Amino acid sequence: MSNKLEAYLEEISHFLSGRAEREEILSEIRSHILEKAAAEHGGTGDDAVDRAIAAYGPPRRVAERYAEDRPIIAPAYKRYLVRYTTLLFAVHAAFTVLAVVLGKQFVVFPFLYMPELGVIDALMYLPTAFLADLGLVALVLYFITQSGKDVKLPWPKFALDLDEVEPPRKAFWGRVGTAVGAVVMLAVTDFALYLFVRYHTIFLYLREGSGPRPFLTPEAGRYLSLIVIAMFAVSTMALFVKLLTRSRWVDVVKNVLTLGLIGLILRQPFDGLFAVAVPAKLETVLRYNVKIGLLVVALIVTWELVRDVVRLGRRNISHIHLIQ
Amino acid sequence: MTNQEPDIGSLETEMNRGFLHILVLALLEKDMYGYSMVKHIEALGYRVEENTLYPLLRRLEKNGWIASKWDLSEDRPRKFYAVTAKGRALRGSLLGIWRNQDRVLAKIEKENANVQ
Repeated sequence: MSNKLEAYLEEISHFLSGRAEREEILSEIRSHILEKAAAEHGGTGDDAVDRAIAAYGPPRRVAERYAEDRPIIAPAYKRYLVRYTTLLFAVHAAFTVLAVVLGKQFVVFPFLYMPELGVIDALMYLPTAFLADLGLVALVLYFITQSGKDVKLPWPKFALDLDEVEPPRKAFWGRVGTAVGAVVMLAVTDFALYLFVRYHTIFLYLREGSGPRPFLTPEAGRYLSLIVIAMFAVSTMALFVKLLTRSRWVDVVKNVLTLGLIGLILRQPFDGLFAVAVPAKLETVLRYNVKIGLLVVALIVTWELVRDVVRLGRRNISHIHLIQ
Repeated sequence: MTNQEPDIGSLETEMNRGFLHILVLALLEKDMYGYSMVKHIEALGYRVEENTLYPLLRRLEKNGWIASKWDLSEDRPRKFYAVTAKGRALRGSLLGIWRNQDRVLAKIEKENANVQ
């Protein structure tokens, strides 16, 4: 028996792994190659077998011919992979923001355990959470596909529909609005920078006779000023880039950066923040209102982010369908 | 496979998928082994890739449309295949579909010829 034939069959066997009838398949191929070598190449020597093997094809291709054409996830459920993953991730991201803001760990039994997270921890945690959500949805869709049943998966009507998947319209007045917004934001960013360079903070109040005075302590003022200026700069750059491209990726990048900057603001301890005397009652009101306000903004930004990612994902899927 | 323009390659593969089922079911009215089937088909002016034939035979057998048995009496073991009663019924249905498709196309070709 040719060693080359056995090596060839061994390779095919590797790619066939998991099939119960593997030995039978290999016997069929062995029989065919020996038959061909003898009938067409003058015997079953190495050269003859080599030529018969070359005609039969590469091992992986041979093994793939035995694969059933059953998809891992049925085409009808493919779009739910993006839909459900983004929905699940949105909930996951919202809980992550909550964990950071409240500074507590909590359990949504039995689905989710949120550890106590700092902003950097949260940024490290979110990609892993996304992969876990993607894996979970893929697993459910896999089992539905393998069951062979026609399961109608729910999708809330308030969410996006495929018909909505289209690039933003190129309206003239829309572009004028973007241009005006960009110029205004540039002016705001420049003014904030001017204040920062001159006073080392942008949080100032006017006192009669003595000019602008810092509202926050020097360290907190500098830290928060830089973050707010960075937020202005991100918005300004996004608006200018939007004049050049209609890609939704601009909004995605802007919202990711904004979320990160909101996280940095939330890191700043509230105690000892003010450089001026603030009544205790007012401080309590401010403490909760600022946190709630930032949380609402973070949730809105997260929602926009998820919406844009869904739309981008849908566009990719609809392109794939067109190509197929 | 027949020699066709390269740009219809994938379409030819799709068309062959159904045709090969009928071809094999028709051919196996008498017992044959894989290599003899390949040669026989070649002699008829058609070509089937060897590594396509065996998976197809396996699928047909799994569905009970053909049956197989190993013959160990010769120098080399050979696996012989033959169509079953269920396979004959399927072949009849498939041939009916194929003839109807052929009839429809012939009619359209005739209509087109009249238009020109």
